[in-house]
Amino acid sequence: MRDAKEIDPSAVGTRQPRIDGPVKVSGRAMFTDDVRPAGMLHGRILRSRYKHARIVRLDTSKAEALPGVKAVITAEDAKGIYATQNEPAICGGVTRYIGEELAAVAAIDEKTAAKALDLIEVEYEVLPSVTTIKDALKADAPQVDPGIPGNIVSENVDDYGETDAAFAAADLVVEDKFVTRPTHNLFAEYHVCVADFTRPDKLEIWTPTQTAYLFQHSFARAFKLSLNQVRIVHLHTGGAFSGRGSVRPHHYVAALLSRKARRPVKVFASGDEEFLICRTLGDNQYKLRTAVDRDGRVKAIDVEATLDGGGQGHALGYFGWMVGLCMSWIMDLEGIRFRRKVVLTNQRPNYLGHGGMMIGTNAGLMQQLQRTADKLGIDPIDFLLKNAIEAGHHGMTGEHFASCGLKECLEKVRDASGWRERYGKLPKWRGLGVGMGSMAAGARGAFKHDTSAAMVKVGEDGLVTVYTGIPDMGQGTHTTMAMIAAEVLGIRASDVRVIAGDTDTTPVDVGAFAQRGTIMTGNAVKNAATDARAQLAKNAAEFLGVPESELEFVGGHIRVQGTSIADAGGPDESIAPGTRSAKVADTAASDSGEKPTSVSFAKIAYGSLHSKEGRFVMGRGFYTTPVDFGTAAWSFGAQVAEVEVDPETGQVDVIKVWVAHDCGRAINPLAIEGQIDGQVYSAMSQVLYEECETDEGQYLNPSRLEYKMPRTYEMPEVEYFIVETNDPYGPFGAKEVGEGPIVVAGGAIAAAVSNAIGAFLPEIPMTPYKVWREITRNKKRQAKSAA
Amino acid sequence: MLLPQHSYHKPESLSECLELLADLDSGRSATEERLAKVQVVAGGTDVIFNMRLGLFRPENVVSIRGLPELQLIEELNDGSIRIGAGCRLVDLADNDILVRRLPVLKQAIDAVASAHIRNIGTLGGNICLETRCWYTNNSADWRAGRDGCFKTDCEHCHVIPSSQICHAINNADTPLALIVLDASLTIQSAAGTREIRVADFYRRDGIAHMDLRPGEMLTHITIPPCDDRAEFLKFTPRRGMDFSLGAVAARCDGAGDQTSHVRLVVGSVSSAPIILDQPCRILEKRGLGDEAIETAVQSIRNEMGELTNLYARATYKKQLAKVLVRRVLVALREQG
Amino acid sequence: MAKHIMTLTVNGDAKEFAVDDTDTLLDVIRNQVGLTGTKRGCTTGSCGVCTINNDRGESILSCLSHALEWDGESITTIEGLEADGELDAIQAAFVEFGAVQCGFCTPGVIMSAKALLNKYPEPTEEQINEGMAGVLCRCTGHIKVKDAIRNDFRLRQELIKKALHDDA
Repeated sequence: MRDAKEIDPSAVGTRQPRIDGPVKVSGRAMFTDDVRPAGMLHGRILRSRYKHARIVRLDTSKAEALPGVKAVITAEDAKGIYATQNEPAICGGVTRYIGEELAAVAAIDEKTAAKALDLIEVEYEVLPSVTTIKDALKADAPQVDPGIPGNIVSENVDDYGETDAAFAAADLVVEDKFVTRPTHNLFAEYHVCVADFTRPDKLEIWTPTQTAYLFQHSFARAFKLSLNQVRIVHLHTGGAFSGRGSVRPHHYVAALLSRKARRPVKVFASGDEEFLICRTLGDNQYKLRTAVDRDGRVKAIDVEATLDGGGQGHALGYFGWMVGLCMSWIMDLEGIRFRRKVVLTNQRPNYLGHGGMMIGTNAGLMQQLQRTADKLGIDPIDFLLKNAIEAGHHGMTGEHFASCGLKECLEKVRDASGWRERYGKLPKWRGLGVGMGSMAAGARGAFKHDTSAAMVKVGEDGLVTVYTGIPDMGQGTHTTMAMIAAEVLGIRASDVRVIAGDTDTTPVDVGAFAQRGTIMTGNAVKNAATDARAQLAKNAAEFLGVPESELEFVGGHIRVQGTSIADAGGPDESIAPGTRSAKVADTAASDSGEKPTSVSFAKIAYGSLHSKEGRFVMGRGFYTTPVDFGTAAWSFGAQVAEVEVDPETGQVDVIKVWVAHDCGRAINPLAIEGQIDGQVYSAMSQVLYEECETDEGQYLNPSRLEYKMPRTYEMPEVEYFIVETNDPYGPFGAKEVGEGPIVVAGGAIAAAVSNAIGAFLPEIPMTPYKVWREITRNKKRQAKSAA
Repeated sequence: MLLPQHSYHKPESLSECLELLADLDSGRSATEERLAKVQVVAGGTDVIFNMRLGLFRPENVVSIRGLPELQLIEELNDGSIRIGAGCRLVDLADNDILVRRLPVLKQAIDAVASAHIRNIGTLGGNICLETRCWYTNNSADWRAGRDGCFKTDCEHCHVIPSSQICHAINNADTPLALIVLDASLTIQSAAGTREIRVADFYRRDGIAHMDLRPGEMLTHITIPPCDDRAEFLKFTPRRGMDFSLGAVAARCDGAGDQTSHVRLVVGSVSSAPIILDQPCRILEKRGLGDEAIETAVQSIRNEMGELTNLYARATYKKQLAKVLVRRVLVALREQG
Repeated sequence: MAKHIMTLTVNGDAKEFAVDDTDTLLDVIRNQVGLTGTKRGCTTGSCGVCTINNDRGESILSCLSHALEWDGESITTIEGLEADGELDAIQAAFVEFGAVQCGFCTPGVIMSAKALLNKYPEPTEEQINEGMAGVLCRCTGHIKVKDAIRNDFRLRQELIKKALHDDA
């Protein structure tokens, strides 16, 4: 612990190491697989082997009879229980995708559970199936869901402004087809859930999650319990990347097994099961159209998307609004339209990946915009600057962009990368690409009450505890909360402890998605800390004999504004645990007889608690976005990527990425860089590497070895520029950094590859084979047009 | 993905090991490799992997990791180098004799998987690497969703449905270098010892890709002295981690453009290394100039045989083979 | 199936364990020794979260060995890096340089980094890339992990100086 003399006046804006860093590097951080409640059983799930089949017979009797097996469940046990996209917790009747849950066992050890699974007899009647959008949309296609004719689960259009008129009047209309392939969120921690439903009136769940709150609601609803009867404990979470936002069948299976066995049960995804459980992106097809004038003005964008929902695609259509609108958040358009059709196929149900679906659209659109600029003879960054919005802009659905540093971001990466001097003049097969984007910081709309609440307790030794319901999946939210509380209270972030994510003890927080952590939870914590501060100010005012309004909290002290700590005889003792200040006294008089003008935070904390009334200090706060739907704040960013392509093999080497991100205010620059790193990595991975290879709906490469994500050699150099625009809504002006950079990076890297090879690449990932194929096709095209 | 039931044995000497293999492996025919009664394990990186996938289901596993006879590296009187099959790849990569005398083998060793794998994987294990295929190298549950294939004891191949043989791919790196070095293998059993050239050890058959019979195990690798230029190249989606989508080893005598003896091997595109003939004849006649290299490169298409879309499209594998052969020949020329 | 008794020294403590033929080293570490810092992931050697160090300080994938293979041997897990309650320099570096995010891969990554640094105390970029390519770090994209590794030598020297200064 540092000497109190060195205490910084401010926490926000400092490079703060993770407060949970020490426990993670020492191996003490507990993750769900490390949890073993007494008597815990091991659960395994029997999964459908066929894409589309009727379960003619399911006989679990031999499994039930195996010694060591304590429970076997089938669809009978799971009636009426559905996971997020109408997936039955356990399917009876007809199964519509490989991997669907058909039965489950819980046994005293993993070997017995595996043996029991083998003893379950299943007879399938294989039915005709469809595995591609094309086949699913044919007139005589087999129905994936009897209740959904034509296999189209939803069709939505978001149309704003005057899209058709803009297209009609434009000098140039550019159209490209674009395709993305199925992916996996690929977090390090495999899917796992421990459920204890031993007592019928209390269900306890340990699982990695982005939202303890929504899981609590889901379980309560499914098992007809009240919220208080469901406890979600999330320990540390090993990454989420949009993949742990809602309950999946295996969560319910764990609870059902536990209820039947009357013992805790752990269900752990092993090996390729992981790829069946996850819900991420599928085969998505886009038609991207932009209407542009000769002077470089982008008038309108029209995206038509056909999305593969897999066996259950109910939620996908909903998220389209964000994908469509995100272009209108960065450019001043006359019209924007986003049409999407979600099609059912007999594949794994699909959902969102890291970056939502926006990596796909951005990778296509940024290529298109850069190539359009080239065609018009305009520098691509000048082109984007011409169209980029500024602070104060009003968006098409009524958004008001109170803070916006988009142009500054573009200028920063342009200058840092030497774009002006180098673009168009690079050696052959080397490319520069630019991307820009915006991301909603905290999006309301999905949930009835979208709120964050927080409590801030001040201990007698001046150490502060923040209680929050938000999980930290690795993005550093808890450290951010500690810094916010520290800033308000004028203490060090390292003197703040964060307790999170146990619904029995922590307050409501909708969760860590839609980039809401910093802005929503951050504001809630700020409000709670402000409340605690007011309670302390009252006590300090009495102690110092001055009005509360004259006090400020800074440097570990509470002092009269306009005075310095030195006036009171130097900095006080540090806020160390167990400190009993020798100078604590009931009177305000100092040794010299003069009234002090400042007092240490620790002393007031101690004095409050040990006062005659026992003035326990506990602040509380809430926050929800002030708008009815959507969000009130957006981050902005621009990036330039430089790549080199080996034309003979198609392999792409990403050399450097310059990243400028307007996060409003950099509460923790170290964490922001870390987020940027991870997102450049993920974008690069999705644009160049990640792909579930499929053969008629079955994934061929469901492993960490064959599903490619880059490793150490592939990583580019990253240069960061943090732009601060001080948003009025965010805590201390902060917005988000959780998903803004990834979308921009996807666009910049795709555009760079396109620039390097001189052609539009119609598919991601741009694997070496596909890049080589496109180079070959381009050569043929050029030879043809030359002839 | 638990390990299937089996008994584990740890003999303390090679002779004890060979006796054990003979005892445990009795009564098995040469074609029943998949249903092996006994599996030898050294580092475990391939064996444990295949066992977790349920592709190896031996009743017995015999650990040879600690056998002292398999740990030697020595220079023989005639200048040959003899390496014990149980030597770890990491130790071989740092071994002075190897680094000085067999740089192409060091290149191949350095390219194997990751540093983690090389800390436990052995040279013998890499030489005996099991062939791989998308349709088999996933869990048993995954495979249950399809009919079986040759590797799982059914008469069928998912990669080429009309095929009569298995097309699983041999991704081992070190054999390519060993082939151009004209290395040979010592194979021992309780019944005796035999030598076989690495070039003759592999068959283009995904399930019976090695000439290794019941009761036998690889014990040593002997490499004759080599003063020629030699080079190994590999193409992977990610460096330091992956099995390759194509790899080559090449060797030639002479200096600069001049050469009279060339060896070329392409790996990772089929069930066995492909030892090229025509391109070598072309180069031996015309030297290593750019035009000769180009002609040689174009001629390899006649010798690749049937390539599959397994792990990469056949067209792309052909492209990679051409590119790698061209680059490795240029590298040889530039060695001086 | 009969169990075998084996001895394993973990972080300096030698103990006997009754294991099955089919138990792996990872199983013994997590379930019998009871140290859960070493994680269970792909169990086939691709992700690296199960990485520990052998007695030569090399990275070992504990999911790929029979437990009995390690009878009589000595290993170090993440829990064994600390000395007298103080974090090792590499652990401190990981915290200071932001190389820890979700933390799940962290034990495996740190043990891999430790092994790398045992071999090359001041590794080159190439050596870092090679030594660390076998582990997946999804959150950091390896970027700040490499920063931490690059700074280990300097931090270690500072800790030595500080200890000497404190002793004096």
